[in-house]
Amino acid sequence: MAADSTRTQTESRIERLLQKDWTPYLIFALPLLFLVLFLFWPLATTVLRALSGPGFDIDLGNLSLENFNRFVTSPMYQRSLRNSFVVSVSSVVFASLIGLPMGYFVARVKMPFKNLFLSIGILPIIMPSFIGAFSWVILLGRQGIIRHFLNQIFMPFGIVIPSIYGLWGIIFAMSLTYFPFVFLLSYGAFSAANPMLEEAAMMMGARRPRIMRTITLPLVIPSLGAGAILVFIRSMGNYGIPAILGGDQYVLPTLTYFRVTGFWDLNSAAAIAMVSVAITGAALLLQKYVISRREYETVSSSRSEQHLHTHWLARLIAVAYCTLVLIVAMLPNITIIIMSFFEQWRGLFPTGFTLENYLRIPRMVSSEIFNSLFLSITASFITAVLGCMVAYITERRRPKGAVILDLAVMAPFILPGIVVSVALLSAFSGDTVLPLGGTFMIILIAFVVRRTPYVFRSVVASLTQLDETLEESSMIMGANWLYTFRRVTLPLIMSGIIAGTILTFATLLQELSTTILLYSARTRTVPVRIFSAVQDGYFGQGAALSVMLLVTVFIVVYAMNRMLGRSISSSFKLG
Amino acid sequence: MSLSMTYEGVEKVFDPEGRNPVRALNSVSFTIEPGELFCLLGPSGCGKTTLLRCTAGLESITGGKIYYGERDVTTIPPFRRNIGMVFQSFALYPHMSVYENVAYGMRVRKVPEETIRTKVTEIMDLVGLPDVLKRNPSPTALSGGQKQRVAVARALVYDPEILLLDEPLANLDAKLRRRMRAEIRRIQKVTGITTIFVTHDQEEAMAIGDRLAVLRDGNVEQLGSSGELYHEPQNAFVANFIGKMNFFHGNVASAAGANRESPVRIGNELEIRPHSERIKLEGPLSPGQDVLVGARPENLSITNVSSAAGEAGGSGGGIVGRVNVIQNLGQITRYEVVVDDAYAIDALEVDMYAPVDGVTEGDEVAVQVNGEKALLFAPETVADTVAEEEEVS
Ligand SMILES: Nc1ncnc2c1ncn2[C@@H]1O[C@H](COP(=O)(O)OP(=O)(O)OP(=O)(O)O)[C@@H](O)[C@H]1O
Ligand SMILES: [Mg+2]
Repeated sequence: MAADSTRTQTESRIERLLQKDWTPYLIFALPLLFLVLFLFWPLATTVLRALSGPGFDIDLGNLSLENFNRFVTSPMYQRSLRNSFVVSVSSVVFASLIGLPMGYFVARVKMPFKNLFLSIGILPIIMPSFIGAFSWVILLGRQGIIRHFLNQIFMPFGIVIPSIYGLWGIIFAMSLTYFPFVFLLSYGAFSAANPMLEEAAMMMGARRPRIMRTITLPLVIPSLGAGAILVFIRSMGNYGIPAILGGDQYVLPTLTYFRVTGFWDLNSAAAIAMVSVAITGAALLLQKYVISRREYETVSSSRSEQHLHTHWLARLIAVAYCTLVLIVAMLPNITIIIMSFFEQWRGLFPTGFTLENYLRIPRMVSSEIFNSLFLSITASFITAVLGCMVAYITERRRPKGAVILDLAVMAPFILPGIVVSVALLSAFSGDTVLPLGGTFMIILIAFVVRRTPYVFRSVVASLTQLDETLEESSMIMGANWLYTFRRVTLPLIMSGIIAGTILTFATLLQELSTTILLYSARTRTVPVRIFSAVQDGYFGQGAALSVMLLVTVFIVVYAMNRMLGRSISSSFKLG
Repeated sequence: MSLSMTYEGVEKVFDPEGRNPVRALNSVSFTIEPGELFCLLGPSGCGKTTLLRCTAGLESITGGKIYYGERDVTTIPPFRRNIGMVFQSFALYPHMSVYENVAYGMRVRKVPEETIRTKVTEIMDLVGLPDVLKRNPSPTALSGGQKQRVAVARALVYDPEILLLDEPLANLDAKLRRRMRAEIRRIQKVTGITTIFVTHDQEEAMAIGDRLAVLRDGNVEQLGSSGELYHEPQNAFVANFIGKMNFFHGNVASAAGANRESPVRIGNELEIRPHSERIKLEGPLSPGQDVLVGARPENLSITNVSSAAGEAGGSGGGIVGRVNVIQNLGQITRYEVVVDDAYAIDALEVDMYAPVDGVTEGDEVAVQVNGEKALLFAPETVADTVAEEEEVS
């Protein structure tokens, strides 16, 4: 009797298992496997290496803090750490100083060309920072044209304009690269802040400066904080700018690179990588803490319009300021374009007009072009599939482990490219179970790990807007999970997937900080080639390649936005 | 041909291991007859949608069993159940034409194209949209009523065994809602499919349902035809939820040896003797016990105070109150009368078949209760009932 009932119980258990729709579980397992293999495992080996003492071997029996000790004992380490801090914090400050007023002006002052100014937001996407740094070398380097020009004026007074190389140069280039983040986020906050709050203050008799200080600014603090943290993380992880402009000043990413390529001391590079991750992590936590303690109403609930300043002086100042910023921000692009048509640019004017820089491209860099296209396209596809899967799982199925998956996917978002490279090298270079050093594979993995958050976020955004009953009604009508996904979910989130994927593709085409540690002679990409051309002084060639890259990226992003009917600046929000 | 449906001790707890588990359904047991149009009625948050989603298999239940006919479907996923469902939002696919929307369920079932074409045409005729099918636009271009019909057509076209409707009329305006509920009833009777219809509108439920179940906090409070629920409510909650009910504070007259025949007093003015079947209290009545007296508007009457004084004692005088609003609704005239808190819970609603001579708004009147038709309830439920009603409105 008892045995009988247990048997029917097991039978019904089995029946239940068979009747379950298992596809979603498979889709849960696949990305998890990928993340474990290519993110968790590499990060774990990074930690082990960091604790293993200098060199290239993992020595579990002999763990020590020796690698971290160097931050206390070695002046070079100390200086790099300090430089990284100084650069990141200063970049945040200057980017805010440039971006915040601009955000206010564009949001609150009645003026022409607003869309033009807003399209500055696209710059960080289409203009790789190392190309920006490169053009500042042309403009302000040892023989830079602006410096040349200014020195001719000021020399008689005994003032010599310093060259761009060094900390201040890095900060200068970083601030100009990243201020659009602050600009767009604060623009968003200024135009969304509920005008009734300000009106109420005005009713109570407050004057404009007081309102600005007590009402308006506090309202945009969360957005400003988000922008600041974005700038901080980006400048902390940026490799290209300090590598080109640093001179003898190292920061953490360049120090990491130096340890690996100069000494093949992967273990101490791992330690440096861990320190930079700890810093960005701490910054992120700090921001979370600060923001969560200030919950402001930032989205206007009413439809009432913002009061735009219409005074002629306000308008004049606003337009002049925004135009100036626009010109300075566009200067690197213009410089690069001009440079690409000349042999040299040492005096005030470039010399030796030529098309050779372009004509040489097919002959000299065809394999790099192929590599870049191959890697970016393949990685974008894998990223699309993976990001889509994880987004679906975490958004729709919410299994118990979803939070972990969510965090794991987003983690590389704050991991600097060079840290991801060090982690992958830690796990897969040399004599490991899966030796991938120098292969296309390792770059592909790095690209996918770093960019999955883009597609993930984009797809999550489309999924949250997709009414769940659309999928449920399909199930009711008899469609299983896969059929429902194919016929209902996928077509309706397609634009989100395309947007995320194309943006991924565009940014991967210009990726430098990940590739720089991972490439081999066989797998070199276009950005790496530009970088070495600049370092070797072939400015004309570097400029021509840069222009080619910029134009390609611009066309891709522009075409996507046209196709999806969105404004160009909105694609920024994914970054 | 059509199936019955049985719930056997169905329980649903959301987030059972979490910090705040929510008991949405509490041992729900009842049976729906084959071909019946069954209404689930209750205030917001009472678990109607949850019960429907559990019926469809979109939500797994944490206890009990659900049967379609003889078949235990408790653990069967929705796509193997052969059911149709109309969502409140209609859930029409914006990326498909109306035709493709309706054909979807048959495409899933790999029905041959010609059969699909004839069945779609038939069903669109049945729901009265042959023209829309000819134009075959995207569903986003349809009006609310048209969308609703397409959703019904889509849910019926593949001959499901059970049809589930979750507040299908909530997104329509009042006039259209009336027309569509008659339409849904017509279509349901033509197809003879066992149907569950969820609504929080009691008028809609009474108009459309063969039988209805009133839910509160995940419990079935009462189940029956609309007539049964209206005339024989089991407790004050149901009484208040189905139609208008006036509630008075009463107590059992302290005659010695009180029993179920004892008169009940409301204040000193009224004494009533409800029919023993209409006493919805457990056990014997004790002298002086507080009870809740319920009376429908049509079981109250008013008299002009001056004339009532004239024929003193004729009808026991009645409770004196002031007329607040008079609404002439055609065949009846509705008086809203405010009386002292000591007598009744709320303003009274009195329906008279003819206007009372000489009574205008602001006048004092005496209210009488038809004792035969009054109901007695336990007093505990009052606070609840009224609070929940306010929440709904
Ligand atoms: N997914 C869920 N997780 C936790 N609690 C839930 C969930 N869905 C419903 N509930 C809770 O279960 C109870 C019943 O909800 P349900 O949606 O069934 O109410 P309803 O009767 O359909 O109400 P309405 O008329 O507002 O649609 C509510 O208390 C609700 O908060
Ligand atoms: Mg509901």
